[in-house]
Amino acid sequence: MSTYILRRVSQSIIVVIGVTLLSFISLHLAGDPTYLYVSERASNEEIAAARVALGFDRPLPEQYLNFVGGMLRGDLGTSLRSRQPAANMVLERLPATLELTIFALVLAISLAIPIGILSATRRGTPLDSGIMLFAMFGQSIPSFWLGIMLILFVGLTLRWLPISGYVPILQPMLNGDFATAIDNLPNALRHLILPGVTIATFSLSRNARLVRSAMLEVLNQDYVRTARAKGLSGRVVVFRHAFRNALIPVVTILGLEFGFLLSGVVVTETVFSWPGVGRLVFNAITQRDIPVVQASVVIFSLVFVTLNLMVDLLYARLDPRIRIG
Amino acid sequence: MSKTFKRLLTLVGAGALALVGPLAVSAQAPDDDTLVIAQSVDVGALEPALIGSRAEANIMAMMFATLYSIDDDGSLVPYLATSYTQSEDGSEWTFTLNEGLTCHNGEPLTAEDVAYSFQRAADPANGFTGNTVGFVLPSVKYLDARADSDLEVTIIMDGPQSEALRLGLLSEVYIHCKDYYESNELAFLAENPVGSGAYRFVEWRRDEYVLMERVDEFTLRQPAFKRILWRVIPEASTRVAELIAGNVDIVANVPPDQVRAINDSGTAQVQAVAGTRRMYVGFQFSEAFADSPGWEALQKTEVRVALQYAVDVPTICIALLGTECERASSMVNPPNDNPNLEPYPYDPAMAEALLDAAGYPRGADGVRFRTVLMGPRGRYLNDVAVVQAIGQYLSDVGVETEVDIRDWASDYVPLIRQKNVGPLFFLGTGGSTWSALYDMADLSSPTAGTNYTNWNNAEWFELWDATQGVDPVTERENVNRMLEIFYNDPPWLLLYFQPDFYGVSNRIEWQARRDEKVLPYYARLAQ
Repeated sequence: MSTYILRRVSQSIIVVIGVTLLSFISLHLAGDPTYLYVSERASNEEIAAARVALGFDRPLPEQYLNFVGGMLRGDLGTSLRSRQPAANMVLERLPATLELTIFALVLAISLAIPIGILSATRRGTPLDSGIMLFAMFGQSIPSFWLGIMLILFVGLTLRWLPISGYVPILQPMLNGDFATAIDNLPNALRHLILPGVTIATFSLSRNARLVRSAMLEVLNQDYVRTARAKGLSGRVVVFRHAFRNALIPVVTILGLEFGFLLSGVVVTETVFSWPGVGRLVFNAITQRDIPVVQASVVIFSLVFVTLNLMVDLLYARLDPRIRIG
Repeated sequence: MSKTFKRLLTLVGAGALALVGPLAVSAQAPDDDTLVIAQSVDVGALEPALIGSRAEANIMAMMFATLYSIDDDGSLVPYLATSYTQSEDGSEWTFTLNEGLTCHNGEPLTAEDVAYSFQRAADPANGFTGNTVGFVLPSVKYLDARADSDLEVTIIMDGPQSEALRLGLLSEVYIHCKDYYESNELAFLAENPVGSGAYRFVEWRRDEYVLMERVDEFTLRQPAFKRILWRVIPEASTRVAELIAGNVDIVANVPPDQVRAINDSGTAQVQAVAGTRRMYVGFQFSEAFADSPGWEALQKTEVRVALQYAVDVPTICIALLGTECERASSMVNPPNDNPNLEPYPYDPAMAEALLDAAGYPRGADGVRFRTVLMGPRGRYLNDVAVVQAIGQYLSDVGVETEVDIRDWASDYVPLIRQKNVGPLFFLGTGGSTWSALYDMADLSSPTAGTNYTNWNNAEWFELWDATQGVDPVTERENVNRMLEIFYNDPPWLLLYFQPDFYGVSNRIEWQARRDEKVLPYYARLAQ
């Protein structure tokens, strides 16, 4: 087990180093980054002075080592626009993104499982076909389009839910203000539904199909047939014998799913004016605030790598075949 | 269907209904005391010396007053100052302030505070890169500022300059109080501003909104609304939906394809104004582009003039921008342009004749020469379609044009900043309604950061230098002559002044301005 852990941790470190390297290179992709830091009307002398002051005149490997050194000290640079530490800006917005991502994950998984089971147990029926058709649409619809349609139909035409905006829950909790968090809860949920559904649709569709295929595979196993032959009711066969085994692949991809949903928030947060990391990244890209982009990429990758590492280690703990393999 | 599944579905449905049902109300519409304005971007920092974009300046201008201001009709009017005088050599401008001014924390606002506002912005130790230090102060040749008395402050600049240009630029420097700004850290100040204008800061939630409240004791402006809520809604469709739903009063940057939806909504209308942003195709003169296709041909004045006739600008406006617009005859906004210059008409036959005469007849394949037109994606109104249309118009007269579209933020901006675009490139540049020289300042020298074409017409630059600080009549004569030079030896293929679309709720009365500023001093509830 310890060899497996060591190998997975080493792989994770390599991934993080790769991400930092790509993130660093992104600053230099569009040429001399000094121009990001000086005014449009700066003279050649001012630009040259800024280049030296910022260290962009040094060899790239040296600049990269300085970047990594700063990262290890928690210094991911300073925003060009706000002059705030880039890492702080990302961490400030992380609760809003986590609220949205967790909501979407819960929504996707809690609906995908019953829908998948229903579809599998009704295989070949119009209900199964209908569910699979919708699942295919759900995986095909671009999230920005779905978001705008939900805004126009649910928000504007029906006026059931807010069109945009955000009410915090996690942030007051982190500040120890649980009363505000509880007060905010109903309104926060109203604001969460449309962006949450937008993000969750793809994941819901994919997982519904995954659960269906896993269930179908298990339902064809001998032990299920044996269970049926023993005279057990369909409900007991499905939930006690088949469902538990069918759930294994779903549990396995939960870590990846969370990372996938995190990556999906960039567009959705922009469409719904959700003040999370996705919006921050989007704005930073359009305003060429490269330190903020770098900080977001590094922090997101750390979250993603850590989650996957934890899931892998947990899975190895649960299933010996993984660590032996 | 088994009972379990039925129960499960019932549970899910009931849960959804329980969540949505009792809460089935739309977002709160604003009350009668609150004006809600939606913009696409948030302020980076509430620091007056870090403001760079128009959206940021709109918010800051309501909290921070200036010495003079640019009125809705483009005229320069007194604000914190009542008047000004110039020294004989035009290098020192002394402003007289209104009596009894205070900042929002109650601190008296005197000449010392005005001088400090300038000095603080200019201090390299603060490392500011906003519009004040990056554009305004270099453009007026700022040297220093001093308080002569409690009510008189002198701004010291290097030599004389056009009066309107200097006054207009100085009107962009936000004034604040010294004691508060001197006694706090930059990072704290960036989130806790204390202003000097008509509204005081109340709350800022990053990427969500800025809330401000009217200062009732402030008598230099008397806006109708007690509060202004500046909401940040980046997606245009969402802004429009919020406007139609009645949750927002003013929306900037309405896409042309949504104008009809707003006008048909019954809750809001679109105001289309001819903006001051000049849109053009630049001809690159840098020899670094000598090997680029078409560069050599484009160095010929006759070719550049010929291409002015090749593009049907009015049709581009109607078909792609959704409104009529007048073709520009120069780089200066009306009414400060040269009235004797007529916009080049769309006349492809003339373009072809001039290209023939310039020594570029059509070849056997119908092509005179080949070139590349670079353009951005995601910066200007329908930019990609406009660039493609221009490329097609040029190809139609035998200048086979390859269109090269680049992402604005990640790709185009770095190329522009390094003047590494061409041989043809599409760009827009902000203009003014109050000074011809302001509009011409993009070409203040052959090496100016904004002279992206690297144009180097000796007569133009001699006249530019000779125009600084001359009397208004001579200035007008020189401007007219320079615009003739520009017209006859064009560094730009002149296009149009970009139209701006604002969505305005029927709840209020408000008139959009030409200069992209959203300053709702005069907004009020509709009768």
